[in-house]
Amino acid sequence: MEEYQNQAWTLARYLLKDAQEAEDVCQEAFVKLWHHQDSIDKDKIRPWLMQVTRNGCLDRLRRRRPTEELVEWHHQDESPGPMQGLQQHQTGQWLKRAIGGLKEPYRSLVVLRDIHQHSYEEVAVVLELSLSQVKVYLHRARKQLREQLAEVRP
Amino acid sequence: MTSKNVDDLPAWESQVNALLDSELDEASTDALKQAASKDHELARAIIEAYQLQRSMDSIAVEQAPASLRRKLRNIPRNNRQSRPPYRWVMATAMASIALLAISLVLIQPRQPSQADVEQARQDLAVAFNYIDKIGHMTGDRIHSVLASQLHNGVTGNISKHFPFTEQSLKEENT
Repeated sequence: MEEYQNQAWTLARYLLKDAQEAEDVCQEAFVKLWHHQDSIDKDKIRPWLMQVTRNGCLDRLRRRRPTEELVEWHHQDESPGPMQGLQQHQTGQWLKRAIGGLKEPYRSLVVLRDIHQHSYEEVAVVLELSLSQVKVYLHRARKQLREQLAEVRP
Repeated sequence: MTSKNVDDLPAWESQVNALLDSELDEASTDALKQAASKDHELARAIIEAYQLQRSMDSIAVEQAPASLRRKLRNIPRNNRQSRPPYRWVMATAMASIALLAISLVLIQPRQPSQADVEQARQDLAVAFNYIDKIGHMTGDRIHSVLASQLHNGVTGNISKHFPFTEQSLKEENT
């Protein structure tokens, strides 16, 4: 269960970029899981939890005021700057911010597939997409990141 | 290189991603390598894809903060009352329904047949007739006893106070 906590937390952090809100969303998701645990198959708990967490994040993003969104995107534009001379561990930090700059559902796709290492099938369940949609969207997301990475690499 | 698939992605783009996901079979991998050796753009795309993958590997799943872990640990305690165990609720509900059904069957009076109703009427008529007869007999008996007692009471008391009356009555009776 600790693994699920960390994954839900990571997903919420990438989507919301706000620790307190991410914490609230995770708590709400786990309370829902507690109430529905008897009606969910054991092997479907993780995708269920990720889906509820993501939906909670998207609800909060929709409720945010436009000014908050502007601040968020302004921050994103500045964050993944040039990284000439950065070490490998710093590349990870840069990449985190670059992932945070992706639009939905690309951001969730990259987090679930490339960071959490979920299967394509599981990602499709979480995002309520077809398998082919997942592959295509993930290709696009990776391409964006790849191009950004190529621009900033020495 | 210029061919596009239905999703607006170059055909080789899908193959590069499949290569990274280890989903490309040996023949397709060899074909991609052959193509990359002749196509500089493709070769660069494969290298960048591997670089991205290596960078992705350096990103770990973040550990949830202690404050969140503490809140999550308290969920069972905070939600115990509002969430009765599902199986127990179901079992109790099913048992209650079964008991209610059995009780209704047992409590429900048996509907008498037409013959039963007719027989009951006849029995009731006999019983009322019997009660009527007993009533008449009892009434007659009460009437005779009361009449005799009243007569004795009235005449006896008077003759006690008037001896000559008692004597004349005896004579009259003889």
